[in-house]
Amino acid sequence: MTRLAPALLAAALLSAAATSEAWARSPTAASRPDPATDEGGLWSSSDRAEAEARTKAELDADPVLTGYVRGVACKVAAEYCGEIRVYVMDRPFFNAQMAPNGYMEVWSGLLLRVTDEAELAFVLGHETSHYVHHHSLDAWRAARRRANATMALSAVVAVAGAAAGAGVGGDAAARTINDSVNALVDVLYLAAVASMFAFSRDQEAEADRLGFARAVAAGYDPSAGARLWRALQAEAGHSDFPTARTEEAVASVFATHPVTAARVAALETLSNDRPAGSTDSGRARYRAAIRPHLADWLRDDLRRRDYGRTLHLIDRLAADGEDPGLLDYCRGEVFRRRRGDGDDARALAAYRAASAAPDAPPAVWRELGDLHRKAGQTAEARAAWAAYLARAPDAQDRWLVEASLKALARSGQP
Amino acid sequence: MSAPRWRALACAVLLAALPACATVTLAPAGPYAVGGQSVTLGRSWSDISILLPGRPKNVRLLTIDGPLLNRLYIVDGLADGRALASPAGKDPPTPRWRSDLSPGEQVEFVADSVAAMGYQRVETKDLRPARVGGVDGLRFNIAAKTTGGLDISGVAQVAESGGRLFLILFLAPTEHYFGAQEAEVEGIMSSARPGG
Repeated sequence: MTRLAPALLAAALLSAAATSEAWARSPTAASRPDPATDEGGLWSSSDRAEAEARTKAELDADPVLTGYVRGVACKVAAEYCGEIRVYVMDRPFFNAQMAPNGYMEVWSGLLLRVTDEAELAFVLGHETSHYVHHHSLDAWRAARRRANATMALSAVVAVAGAAAGAGVGGDAAARTINDSVNALVDVLYLAAVASMFAFSRDQEAEADRLGFARAVAAGYDPSAGARLWRALQAEAGHSDFPTARTEEAVASVFATHPVTAARVAALETLSNDRPAGSTDSGRARYRAAIRPHLADWLRDDLRRRDYGRTLHLIDRLAADGEDPGLLDYCRGEVFRRRRGDGDDARALAAYRAASAAPDAPPAVWRELGDLHRKAGQTAEARAAWAAYLARAPDAQDRWLVEASLKALARSGQP
Repeated sequence: MSAPRWRALACAVLLAALPACATVTLAPAGPYAVGGQSVTLGRSWSDISILLPGRPKNVRLLTIDGPLLNRLYIVDGLADGRALASPAGKDPPTPRWRSDLSPGEQVEFVADSVAAMGYQRVETKDLRPARVGGVDGLRFNIAAKTTGGLDISGVAQVAESGGRLFLILFLAPTEHYFGAQEAEVEGIMSSARPGG
């Protein structure tokens, strides 16, 4: 940590106090607000959301990863460490959010796109700043103004469901329709909950500034925040979908944290104003923490079918030459699934590159076999499939590969 | 309110109006035709295809206790470029059937389609050969979770004939509901005869 860092943090916090003085949360003020107040209602909603998060299928159960993320949060917000409860959710979108009761979600799509600990520290500092300055209370009040419309719509949905349930024959049919209606009501409720994290642009800019200050005060690289936001914008520019490419802002699934050019420029100015000095990026620590999850998270990302984005992401992850077997395999998977002109050749090249790396998954050789067979290269197909079976003797598709080998032998091709 | 949220609410209103004109029909025990494909139901089911978002052609949805407790998809010859799960929006696209998929990619197509329906942590296991009418096919089990964390079990049978997909897919909560209908579904799968 540099000697200037505490002063910078203090200055940033004082600056924020000019706009948020009445709302700055003190570290000892974690006591529950009066339930009769709107803030008390917000806490109740946060409690419910946290209780649901604990049961969600997407909750990542790895205590080591969760402990690591919480540890970084505590580095940038030491005075609130006792109040922060981190939940890593395996959702392939860039998002993090912190509720006023101290419950914080960090999504795998964010962890996959953050490339070092300094970038994660900036994001967590940003979220902590929303928390410290009660930004969600303003959003909650705006959401409550919209709540009348939402409640009215919920009532329409429920009444329509009840009427339909009464009008069809048989209990099973009635349950079927009512289940569907209940799912709709859930969607409306979740939309209302999500809106508590729909911050204003001013709040986002403030959280950027304070998050920057917190990360720098903890000794992290000052350029991390701007670098991350630029990377997100670049990734969006590589999207297969025109709507994603042309949006000014990069948005999460709930559009809670739009990243605009103005926000990037502001962070670059803050970073450039910092004197040069020794800082920590924590890249090796960060990669070691997420490495056990890389394969699963990349598979989730592939299922989004935005292949341009995934390729850009893989290139960023491969920048330092780490995990070459897995990343080249995933590159091959993008080309295999995309099936564009020339993608077979690109996939073959990627799988071949992966096969030269010690961390290549066995599936590399199965895919090589399939591509060689498709190209009529039977000897190469046989060799690749044999290599796959040797590397994955208990694979569930062993019989299928063996059948393919027998079919090749029957064909009599060399 | 953002444009996507407006669209979501508009969709919710439209879907809410749907049940008023929905028709749930009985699928009685015995031979049951789905397009050109025939299966034999061992007991009566309810045909709730009307609840399928977008009502994809060639896809029939049956249930006994409601779609959250058991759902049986019978797909009659899905053509090139068609989806099992209709897209909820323009982005991202849902998985599309391709007539040149390898057997492994056929399994991947089903798993990705189940994920596109909103299930989490979709995995396939126990891949095994199956004979579907006179066609070589595959059968495999599925493990997944609902977003709420409920364990889901499934079994799928795929066969490709004339470049089209003939699929039977059963999904139900692992606790009680999957096992309660597993034998019935195995019987339905064994009885399947893809159409021409």
